[in-house]
Amino acid sequence: MQHTRRKHTTLAASAALAVAGVSVLGACSSDDGSGSSDGASGDAAGGTYTWWDPYPQHDGSSDWEARVQACGEDAGVTIERTAYDTTALTNQALLSAQEGTSPDVILIDNPAVSTLADTGMLTTVEEFGLDTSAIDQNLLDAGVVDGSAYGIPIGANTLSLYYNADVLSDAGVDPASITDWDSLTAALEQVTGAGHKGITFAGIGTEEGSFQFLPWFWGAGADLTDLSSPEAVEALELWTTWLDEGYAPNTVINNSQNTVWEEFLTGDFAFAENGTWQVNSAAEAEFETGIVQLPGKDGGVAPAPTGGEFIVAPVQEDTARYDVTNQIVECMTTPEGFVETANTFAYYIPPTSEGQEALLTESAGDPDLTPWVEAVQNAKGRTSDGLGTDYPLISEALWTAVQNALSGAATPAEALETAQSEAESATS
Amino acid sequence: MTSIPADVGSRDGSRGAEGTTPAAPPARRRRRTLSSSQWAAVGFAAPLLVYLVLFYAYPLWRNIDLSVHDYTIRAFVQGDAEFVGLQNYVEVFGSSTFPTALWNTFVFTFGSIAFQFTIGLALAVFFRSSFRLSNTLRAMFLVPWLLPLIVSASTWAWMLNSENGIVNSVITAFGGEQINWLTSPDTALISVTIANIWLGIPFNLVILYSGLQNIPGEVYEAASLDGAGAWRQFWSITFPLLRPVSAITILLGLIYTLKVVDVIWVMTTGGPGDASTTLAIWSYREAFGTGQPDFSPAAAVGNLLIVIALVFGFLHLRLQNRQEATS
Amino acid sequence: MTERKVWWKTALGVVFTALMLFPVYWMVNVSFTQTRDLRADPPHWFPWDPTFEGYEAVFAQQLPALGTSLLVGLGSVVLTVVIAAPAGYALALLHLRGGRTLNFLLLVAQMIPAVVMAMGFYAVYNNLGLLNTIPGLIVADSTIAVPFGVLLFTAFMSGIPREMLQAARVDGAGAWRTFRSIVIPMSRNSILTVSLFAFLWAWSDFIFASTLNRNGDLIPITLSIYNYIGNNTTQWNAIMATAVVASVPAAILLVVAQRYVAAGVTAGAVKD
Repeated sequence: MQHTRRKHTTLAASAALAVAGVSVLGACSSDDGSGSSDGASGDAAGGTYTWWDPYPQHDGSSDWEARVQACGEDAGVTIERTAYDTTALTNQALLSAQEGTSPDVILIDNPAVSTLADTGMLTTVEEFGLDTSAIDQNLLDAGVVDGSAYGIPIGANTLSLYYNADVLSDAGVDPASITDWDSLTAALEQVTGAGHKGITFAGIGTEEGSFQFLPWFWGAGADLTDLSSPEAVEALELWTTWLDEGYAPNTVINNSQNTVWEEFLTGDFAFAENGTWQVNSAAEAEFETGIVQLPGKDGGVAPAPTGGEFIVAPVQEDTARYDVTNQIVECMTTPEGFVETANTFAYYIPPTSEGQEALLTESAGDPDLTPWVEAVQNAKGRTSDGLGTDYPLISEALWTAVQNALSGAATPAEALETAQSEAESATS
Repeated sequence: MTSIPADVGSRDGSRGAEGTTPAAPPARRRRRTLSSSQWAAVGFAAPLLVYLVLFYAYPLWRNIDLSVHDYTIRAFVQGDAEFVGLQNYVEVFGSSTFPTALWNTFVFTFGSIAFQFTIGLALAVFFRSSFRLSNTLRAMFLVPWLLPLIVSASTWAWMLNSENGIVNSVITAFGGEQINWLTSPDTALISVTIANIWLGIPFNLVILYSGLQNIPGEVYEAASLDGAGAWRQFWSITFPLLRPVSAITILLGLIYTLKVVDVIWVMTTGGPGDASTTLAIWSYREAFGTGQPDFSPAAAVGNLLIVIALVFGFLHLRLQNRQEATS
Repeated sequence: MTERKVWWKTALGVVFTALMLFPVYWMVNVSFTQTRDLRADPPHWFPWDPTFEGYEAVFAQQLPALGTSLLVGLGSVVLTVVIAAPAGYALALLHLRGGRTLNFLLLVAQMIPAVVMAMGFYAVYNNLGLLNTIPGLIVADSTIAVPFGVLLFTAFMSGIPREMLQAARVDGAGAWRTFRSIVIPMSRNSILTVSLFAFLWAWSDFIFASTLNRNGDLIPITLSIYNYIGNNTTQWNAIMATAVVASVPAAILLVVAQRYVAAGVTAGAVKD
C-alpha cells in the first residue's frame, strides 16, 4: 500500500512537473509565435513583418539573416524570418494563404511563382509601383503570368560544366576544345580511355532532374511544348549513350545535384554539370577546376535554365502593410542590394546588367564569375514562353521520360512519346 | 455495486405483480445498469472519445472533402472548389500509374510484413532464453527506431549506391556483378523493401517477445519431458499460443506499412520512373512532389489506402470473432 | 556444460546485433567523413581521414533542438498515458458498451496517413492558436501513439487477475479507487512499454513538426537537421553527426527501460 501510494505520488508529481514545464515553455513560444502573420500587430513603428525563405542553412547567426534584418531596420520594422526547405515552401505558402495567414514577404524558387500567382495570393509588381525595366528580361519572364509580373528575381544562378583540370591534362584533353556535343563526347572517350571517369549529372525523378536535362534539351533546339520532337530525342539519346558507353556512372539516375558535386569532389571525374552555387567549393577543391559553358548540339552556348528565387509579396487583408513591404522589397532589389545578395550568397548573379557589372568590378580579383555572368545572360526561365503553370506538369512528364530511358525501361523515343501525351493530357 | 446478482434479481420488474405498466420496469432496469458501471466506463473513456473526434475525425473528413471536390490550387487557396463527386476516384482508377502502384504496394507490404514478422519472431524466440548480455542486446535492436527517418533512409541509400555503396563493394570483392539497387527498375522495389524490413524488425521483436513472456515455462518443460525437440515445441506450443498476438502484430504492421512514405521517398522518390511507386508514394507525389500540387487526386489515393487497410481490419475482426467463438 | 551453451548464445546474439546495427555503424562512419570522400569509389570502411566539422556544427547549433525533442517526447508520453490508460481500463475491465466498435475505430484512426493528419491539423491549430507552440506539437505527436497505447493497455489490463479486482470491490472500492490502487501499479510494465513507443514515435516525428512548428523558437531535432540541407547543397557529415548525438541519450533511456518492458505486456492474449 505504501509503495503504491509513493509510486502514485511520484507519478503525479512528475506528471505535474512535466505539464508545468510544458505550459511555461508553451507560453514562451506562443508569445513568439502568435505575434506573427495576421497583421494585427505591427501598426505602430517597429512592428513585425514576416519573411519566409528557402535557406535553412543560413540560420539566425548568418550573414544572410543580418542582411534581412538590415532591410527591416531600414524600413523601421523587425523582420521575423522563417526558413523552410525549398520543397516544403510552396505547400506551406498555399496552406497559409488558405487560412489567410500569408507572410508579408516570401522568397520562392522561380518556377513556383506562376503557381502561386495563379491562385490569386500574390500581388503584382505594378500594384507596388516597382520599376522592373532594368531587370534582364530573360530573368524576369519566369514570374510573368498573363502579362503581369508577380515578383522580382533577387539574383540568378544557372548551370555550367565544371571540369577537373588535373584529369583533363592527364588525358590530354584541352577544355577549350569542347564547343559542341561531338567534341564533348570525344573528350569523354579520351578521358575514360585514360582510366578516369567521364561526366556526372543529376537525372533524379524530381525537378532537379529536369533542371539538369534542360540545357541539353534546349541545346538540341527542342521546345518544351513538344517533348517528342526529333531534337528532344537526340538530347535524351546523348545521355543514354553516355550511360551505355560508361562515360557516365549508373548513379546519375538517382543523383541529386548535391550528390553530383560530392562525386566530383572525389577527383575521379573529369566533368560535372553543376551550378553557380558551387563556385567557392570548386575553388577550395584539392584539384584545379575550371568551367566551360554547356555546349549546344552544333556549337554555341546552350541555354541553361535559371535558378534563383523571386521576392514576392502575398496579398494581405490589411493593405496598409504594403507600404513597409514595398520598402523591404526595394531594399532587396536596388543595384547595391543585388550586389550585396550576390556577395552574401557568393553565387547569385544580379539580374540587372548594372548589378552584374558592379559585381564583376567588386570581385575583380576573382575572375571566376565572368563566365557565370555570361551563362546567366544566356539563361532562360523555365516558366517563360508563356508556359507558366503548365511548366510543372510538363516537367514531371519530362523527368519521368529521362528516368525511364536512362534505366532502360523504354527507348528514348518511346519514353518521350509517352511523356508528350501525358503532358498534353495534363495541360489540356 | 457489491451485490449485483441480488440487485438484478430484486429489480426484475417483469416478475413483479405490482407493475401496472409492463414496459416501465425493463427500462428502469436498463437505466439503472447503465448508471453504475457504464457511467464509470464512459467517464474513463471520455478523454479518448473527445480526443478521437477532435484529432482524427476532422482530418479524415477533410480528406474525404478534398477527394470529392476538384481542388485546383486556386480553389485550395480561395476555398471555392467545385464538387465533382467520385470523378477523382474514377481518374485515379483509370490512370496508368494505378496498376503499377497497386502492385508495388502489394509486393512492398506483404514482402515487408512477411520478413519483418519472421525475423522478429525468430529473434524473439532466440532472446527468450536469457543469456549473458541478452537484455542489452535486445535493447540495442531498438536503436534503428531512434534515428530520424531521413537519416536511416539516407544511410541505406548510401549503402546501396550502385557505384560507391558498401554493399556492391562487398559483392564485387567476392567476384559478383554490380547490382544497381536503386536505379534499376528490377531492383528498386526490393531495395526499399529491404530497408523497410530493417526498420520494422524492432517493433515486431518487442511485441512478440512480450507475447512469448506470457507462455508459462511449465508448458515447455512438460513438452521437453515428453521428448519434444525445440522445433516441435515451437510449432506445437509457441506458434499456436502466440496466435492472437501475432494477429494483432501483423495487422498493425500492415496498417503502418501501407502508410510508409519517407523511406521510399528518400531512397528513390518512387523511381526510376514508377518502379518503386506505391499508393502512398503516389499520393505524396501528387500533393508535394511536383511544382503543381494536386491535392484532390492525392486525397483520393489516400482514402483508397484507408479503405484497403479497413478491409484487413474487418478480416482481423472476423478472425477474432471466430477465435472467441471457439475458445 | 550449461555455461558453454550460454556463451554460444551470447556470441550469436552479438553477431545478430552487429548485423542489425551495421547501418548505424555506417552512419557513424559517414559522420566523420570529409565531403570529398563521401562518394569515394570504393567506399571507405573506416574514416581514415576524419573530420570533426559535423560534430562541431552539432554541438554549436543543435543542443537546444535536442532539448526540445526531449521535452516534446516526454510530453507526448505523459499525454498518451493520461489518455490511453483510463480508456484501456474502461475497455478491458469496465466493459464499456460499444467497446468492440471503439477498438475498431482505434484501428481506423491509425490508418490515416500522417500527411493527411498534418494538413488537417494545420487548419485546426491555426484557429486555436496552437501553431508553433510546444503543447501543440506534443498533442500532435501523441496522436501517433494513443490508439496503439489504448490497444496495448486493453490487452494487458484484461489479464489482471479477477480475484484482485473482486477483492477490491468487496472492500467497497469504486472504479476510480480500483484504478488508482490496483490497476495502475499492476500495469507498470505496460505503462513503460506504451511510454517507450510514444517517446520513440514522438522523437522521430518529422511531418508534424514540419507542418505545424516551423516558426517556433524551439524546434525539434528532426527539423533542425534540415539546417544542413540547403537549397542545392547538403552537409551530410553534419546530418549524420546530429543523428548520432541525438541517439545517445535516447539509447541510454532505451537500455534502462527495456528491462521493464518485457514481462507480461500482452498478458490478456493468453487465457490460462
